[in-house]
Amino acid sequence: MSVSSSPDAFPWLSVLIFSPLVAAGIMAFLRGERLQRAWALVATLVVALGSLPLYWRFDPTTAAFQFVEHASWIPALKVNYTLGLDGISLLLVLLTTMVMPLCVLASWRYIETRLREFLVCLLVMESAMVGVFCALDGILFFVFWEAMLIPMSLLIGVWGGPRRIYAALKFFIYTMSGSVLLLVALIALRLHVGSFHIPDMMARPGSGVFQCWVFLAFALSFAIKVPMFPFHTWLPAAHVEAPTAGSVLLASILLKMGTYGFLRFCLPITPYGTQVFMPYLLGLSVAAITYGGFAALAQNDLKKLVAYSSVAHMGFATLGIFVLNEAGIEGALLQMINHGVTTGALFIAVGIIYERLHTRELARVAGLGKHMPVFATFLGVFSLSSLAFPGTNSFIGEFLVLKSAFLYSPALALCLVPGVVLAAAYMLRMLQRVAYGGPANPHHAGVKDLGFRETMSLAPLLVFVFWIGLHPEPFLRVMHASVRHLLAQANGAAAHGVFVSP
Amino acid sequence: MSTLQSFLIVSALLFGIGLTGVLTRRNAILVLLGIEFMLNAANLNFIAFWRFGPNPEALTGVMFALFAIAVAAAEAAVGLALVIAIYRHARTANLDAVEELKG
Amino acid sequence: MNPFSYLEALRLAAPETALAVAALAVLFADLGGMRGESLRHRAILGAGITAVGGAMALLWLGFAPGYGTIAEGVLVTSPLTQLVKAGLVLLTLLVAGLSLDPRFTGHVGEYFSLLLLGTIGMMVLVSTQDLLMLFLALELTSLPLYVLAGFNKRDRASAEAALKYFFFGSVAAAFLLFGFSLLYGVAGSTRLPVIAAAVALKPPDALTLVALVCVVMGFGFKVAAVPFHLWAPDAYEGAPTPAAAFIASGSKVASFAVFGIVLAQGLGPMAGGADWHGFTTGWLPLLAVVALASMLLGNLAAIAQRSVKRLLAYSAIAHAGYLLLGLMALATPANRPAALAAILYYAITYALSTVGAFGIVAVVERATGSDAADGFNGLARRSPALALCLMIFLLSLAGIPPLAGFLGKFYVFVAATRAGDGSLSLFWLVLVAIALSVVSLYYYLKLLKRAYVLPPDGAVPATRPDVMEFVVIGMTAAAVLGLGVFPRALLEPLALAIQQAGF
Repeated sequence: MSVSSSPDAFPWLSVLIFSPLVAAGIMAFLRGERLQRAWALVATLVVALGSLPLYWRFDPTTAAFQFVEHASWIPALKVNYTLGLDGISLLLVLLTTMVMPLCVLASWRYIETRLREFLVCLLVMESAMVGVFCALDGILFFVFWEAMLIPMSLLIGVWGGPRRIYAALKFFIYTMSGSVLLLVALIALRLHVGSFHIPDMMARPGSGVFQCWVFLAFALSFAIKVPMFPFHTWLPAAHVEAPTAGSVLLASILLKMGTYGFLRFCLPITPYGTQVFMPYLLGLSVAAITYGGFAALAQNDLKKLVAYSSVAHMGFATLGIFVLNEAGIEGALLQMINHGVTTGALFIAVGIIYERLHTRELARVAGLGKHMPVFATFLGVFSLSSLAFPGTNSFIGEFLVLKSAFLYSPALALCLVPGVVLAAAYMLRMLQRVAYGGPANPHHAGVKDLGFRETMSLAPLLVFVFWIGLHPEPFLRVMHASVRHLLAQANGAAAHGVFVSP
Repeated sequence: MSTLQSFLIVSALLFGIGLTGVLTRRNAILVLLGIEFMLNAANLNFIAFWRFGPNPEALTGVMFALFAIAVAAAEAAVGLALVIAIYRHARTANLDAVEELKG
Repeated sequence: MNPFSYLEALRLAAPETALAVAALAVLFADLGGMRGESLRHRAILGAGITAVGGAMALLWLGFAPGYGTIAEGVLVTSPLTQLVKAGLVLLTLLVAGLSLDPRFTGHVGEYFSLLLLGTIGMMVLVSTQDLLMLFLALELTSLPLYVLAGFNKRDRASAEAALKYFFFGSVAAAFLLFGFSLLYGVAGSTRLPVIAAAVALKPPDALTLVALVCVVMGFGFKVAAVPFHLWAPDAYEGAPTPAAAFIASGSKVASFAVFGIVLAQGLGPMAGGADWHGFTTGWLPLLAVVALASMLLGNLAAIAQRSVKRLLAYSAIAHAGYLLLGLMALATPANRPAALAAILYYAITYALSTVGAFGIVAVVERATGSDAADGFNGLARRSPALALCLMIFLLSLAGIPPLAGFLGKFYVFVAATRAGDGSLSLFWLVLVAIALSVVSLYYYLKLLKRAYVLPPDGAVPATRPDVMEFVVIGMTAAAVLGLGVFPRALLEPLALAIQQAGF
């Protein structure tokens, strides 16, 4: 079987990757802020719509990469321009394209200075993010991975809060040290395998010791990105200072790249290393869930609260990945999508509050629900989703992860209980304060409820909360084959000949 | 001790004296002299190796020495010009007084 | 011995001849006809003649390249040498484009003709296999550079920079000459292949080792590697900015090319080893120590700099360290084509981004009166295009994809890991290099932070490049970006030329 199951003449993925760049180029010639905003919205919407056919044309019965494109890029180094999607990356690409228009909407009023540059950064980010999920060549992956770094740091450093420079530098240094390890691992694999083609790397696992080193390099670099427990300190700083759109991108997409990296590189390429280090990563995941929960409970800044809840949620995702069974990985994938939807929505909601009150202090925000009933409803639903209330999206994901943990060891599942309880505690605490709490705050009197634009930036996410929560099959459907194949690889019994380099 | 060896020892001494001069002297002109010492040590080597080498018919060593002498002259000219340029500003050729750029 | 044919020599050295004619023409034109004209007009004429000479040389290199050998390797031209020469001429033209506002001197004709003479030296430097010619070419490169560094007679810093550059350079030349004389003694010849054969015959004795150390020291000075780097920060800071750009770009490419040629073709058999815990005698361990020290000191010292030119100087020292890593990959014969391509790709793209960065420094310097980093505050608001180009150059120097600097580093690192027949003997050094390139990000980002995040200092006048400066900066920025995205444009000709040159 070749990599491409349905040879597609049209370069879907390239078009998807580069059209935001082209849109950014056109942006440079547009005058007037209204026009620039409108153009960014139109461009991201078109890309989002253009990505939908990927779902219809995707063949969920096979684990092979689809929509494959292949071209020689740097023959001297055997670096190729290879793109492709499988059941693991498909939904992440769609998530990226869907979130982008919401980011543009969320920054409609928020960004007051240097709007053009801001929108260009957003569009460049979109190109790089889609590229990361589509790349099938190690170096191409790395190039896109690094290409995100600059616009994201600019988003934080130029349009961020008062301590933005500190946050941007911290973000940059942390992620950069991670990428260095990634590069080292890629070079090591290149020496071993002879090419940067990711499926080739999967097909030729190295010796045990080699795998352990490569796994460690990969895992450290991805753990910083996720971020897993001891490497998470850049995240609250970055979130607190970033503008709304930056926070949304960070939470919804960038964090997913860490877990995506685990699935794309660690499990299939270094199965032995995965087996060796699996207990430690499970331990770190449990630590992240519990620590994130406690830390979130202690926060008074809304953004920090949501940021620490991210650490906990991503803990569930990494846990699901490293129990190495089908329910776990599918749960983790779904958890990644859910976190993108729910936390993205929560950050937009915090941004909406901030635009009105210019504060994120829980105490000063308390009682806002009286004046903003529609907003309170939205916030309520997203908070419930965040604590994995049955009927919402996160419930399915967390349930699958819990089930997988139980299958692995009931003791492990027991360790997760505090995390689940904590999630309910910190989310309900926030919801209670914001929506119902506090004596009527005098300076809330003139606050208006959501406008049309703001409703439109939250409503699509609401749809997904219930869609995934009530009928997750369309989302799980595309994962099954790929996840099964991944597990076969990770358990060292990869069916021979499934992946042949083009 | 063969003759070639003694030549080499002399040239090594010359080179060492020149280098010591360059490193210890603070007057620009003396430093320049040290550099000339070092270059001429190399020239002595060329001549010695040519004279006692396997085929003195090929004039490589002599040619190299001749060219090196010419180059050394050009270098000295440029060096003196630069020393004069700094003298115009600092009114001294003492290198310690010249140190302004630091970091 | 074949009879020496002057016609043949002229055919092979036609590009150099074109530049030499241009050097004379620019001198006479300026001295003869332009006495009463304004400085600006004289500079335009000088740059024009330089451009014509450079264009002739480029045309000759591109369309009528002559390949051959004169007098057993005194002058060797191959597709590889012609390609590198084309790069050098191009860099000179870029520098000439930055020199149209020569406030630092009244001697415009001399300035451009020295620029051209230095370029001729570099071109000869990369196309010879004879130590005598190599030494002469090195001096022909160095002497104009010393003078160019001190070209601003009114500025004390310029004179001081030139004097320091001169002293360090001359000592380096003396070391090199001494090393060459010993190599001549060992091999009985000044031709690199003969030296290689002689060195290969016996285990290295004291004489060859002294020669080796002297040669490495001499070239170490030229490429500004630690501990022979002391001239670089002062020379970069004090020299007029276009001259500093020339020292940092063209001379760097030529020095590394010739260093590589000498190591690979002349001293290849005595490479030794630089494994972690396993040093064996040869030039590999020497280079390993020098490279390590350069990367460490260059990157760490750059953090503390307040002058942008000094920052670029220390970053140049660090980059010399990375490039030395590439040179070390030349030790394994099977690895040589890839290593050479890596070095040249790295050096050329590095030179491009350095020229561009110095161009921006020149523009900012004119507006603010100094090259202090404070002058870059708020550059993005004063001149967005300039700030964007600065970002491209600095990020390329830091090695961020998809810019050319990333691929250069990557290519060099891959080549270095494959040195020593796949035994990963240099992997430890590569790890250090990668870690330190993260450190380097810090000081580049600090400068970018000034340009993009900090507000401009109130009284700074508009920062506007003149037309040619803008063209040069824009072209180099486009090249750095383009060569990063489509590296084949440079890598494939390089690989082909290296293959044809018989490495």
